[in-house]
Amino acid sequence: MSNFFKLLVNEQYKLYIRKSTWVMYILVSLIILGLAFLANFAQGANAPGTNEKYQDSNWRQTLQQENEELKKQLEEEEMMQGYNARQIEENNYYLDNDIQPNSYDAWQFVMENEFLLSLVSLFTIIVAAGIIANEFKWGTIKLLLIRPITRTKILLSKYVSVLLFALFTLLYVLVFSWVVGILFFGINGIDPHIVLNQSESYSYVSVIQQIIEGYGFQLVTLLMMATFAFMISAIFRQSSLAIGIAIFLMLAGNAIVTFFADYSWAKYIMFANTDLSQYTNGTPWLDGMSLGFSIIVLVVYYLIFLVLSWVFFTKRDVAGQ
Amino acid sequence: MSNAAIELINVKKSLGKKEIIKGLSFSIDRGEVFGFIGPNGAGKTTTIRMMVGLMQITEGDVHILGNSIKTDYKEAIREVGAIVENPEMYPFMSGWQNLMHFSRMIPGITKERIHEVIKLVGLEKPINEKVKKYSLGMRQRLGIAQALLHKPSVLILDEPTNGLDPAGIREIRKYIRALASEENVAVIISSHLLSEIELMCDRIGLIKNGELVATQDVNAATDQDSATPVQMEVTPIEHAIELLKSNHDIDATSDNGTITIQSERDTIPSIIKTLINNDVLVYQVSITKSTLEDKFFDLIGENTIE
Repeated sequence: MSNFFKLLVNEQYKLYIRKSTWVMYILVSLIILGLAFLANFAQGANAPGTNEKYQDSNWRQTLQQENEELKKQLEEEEMMQGYNARQIEENNYYLDNDIQPNSYDAWQFVMENEFLLSLVSLFTIIVAAGIIANEFKWGTIKLLLIRPITRTKILLSKYVSVLLFALFTLLYVLVFSWVVGILFFGINGIDPHIVLNQSESYSYVSVIQQIIEGYGFQLVTLLMMATFAFMISAIFRQSSLAIGIAIFLMLAGNAIVTFFADYSWAKYIMFANTDLSQYTNGTPWLDGMSLGFSIIVLVVYYLIFLVLSWVFFTKRDVAGQ
Repeated sequence: MSNAAIELINVKKSLGKKEIIKGLSFSIDRGEVFGFIGPNGAGKTTTIRMMVGLMQITEGDVHILGNSIKTDYKEAIREVGAIVENPEMYPFMSGWQNLMHFSRMIPGITKERIHEVIKLVGLEKPINEKVKKYSLGMRQRLGIAQALLHKPSVLILDEPTNGLDPAGIREIRKYIRALASEENVAVIISSHLLSEIELMCDRIGLIKNGELVATQDVNAATDQDSATPVQMEVTPIEHAIELLKSNHDIDATSDNGTITIQSERDTIPSIIKTLINNDVLVYQVSITKSTLEDKFFDLIGENTIE
């Protein structure tokens, strides 16, 4: 085993032996199970998402019938306007293109659980914030650093450990959602397609492609915020501060950009650029932004975070508490 | 290159404009136990942190087996085992898991070696318990075990007797002596309590306000030939004082039924002989040892931090 690999083993070991890490996984599991129960329960009612009623040869009539009902409802209730109009449009797409709607399955369940990535981001921030600061809190940093290993290597092993944690947790969300999805809803083959509203029009798309895109775009925020928390942890050696600042910024990021949107420098704020999906479905948030611009801004921020972490971790004295 | 296991060369440390370590130079040979004594805040821990590379050295250098801690960090630190301040370990892991963790950071540590070290510090029984359940004494032992894993040439122990009961201190003393003589390890022990480490050190260095005030060979300090105070319980006192004055030319002071004289060790038998031959009753004779503590207390003066 190489030196660096052993350091990774150490870091992962310290991470996964602690109960707090397992609590995170249990929490994610419970949420996924809860979501499955809710979706399963909703299937009994008139839930359009489940598409159970289209699974016979009369699916065209069923769709048309549903459209008429929705139209009637539209005239009576103002409240349902947006939702019903969209549903009618979606149904029409199926009818126009003569596609039988797929039933709700594990793939769609996985796709809808995309929002759980913000939970994964949150957990990754907590781990990133603690991985250096805790060594200082426990006093073990002194024993960790007096080994024939450079501080740079130790820092890198910790950073890679954070990324591994994020990866494992992400894979866990994907796999567990998929397995629970199969148990609750079954599965429609290897690569089912559904009709989705994209960039103000409907199209027939692969669910798996949607999963990759949806999760992929969120990974950008995850990576940036985890690296940010890691940096704060390395600079201030305090996990609560790092968690606090990182979560606050993650939640307030969009508000910050909106607040400064009138200034020309607003596009250089990291949070204006973290959502890369703005370039695939829709227009860029601010003037003068393009995919290339955003990637450069993100890379610059990323490098700043890493360099600051490195400088503070390797150059500063480890003094008494 | 010198023979020294660890050598400090005019080591200085400044924090901002304040110089807290003002040029320390000393060296410790293999097989020697060096006591590093000073009042709280004198700079012991700062010096130790510089010796192991936790703090940067502002000026000067530390050589470990000839390798500079500044420029050849990896080679230098490979030969060092240390506890810096408290023996802090991962509380949520067992003693065994902690040792495994640190053994993965240095190449060439076998499972047999870990067992050997555990046996040496006497932690066989609680080794699989979580460290948070350990007493301070047990943590201290685990700390020493961790420091010994890779068979270092230099062992640095910051306050190793802290939190140990008298039996524990005795035991630590025993295996520190054994390590020095059998494994030829240079041991540096810091403490603010001289009496605790006096018995296990060959040499003691006294640090005060960032300066090495004195170094003292322990054996030389206790076996000196100069006049030491001798107390005697005798009757009648007046007669005894007269006899000492006339026969030995010694001035004695009396206090509470005892007399105190300044005498060399060699002349004590003849003094007693004089007293007995002249019908003075001698109940007790005792030599007050001038301890290191007195000597160092004189040097330090009051325990103040400037």
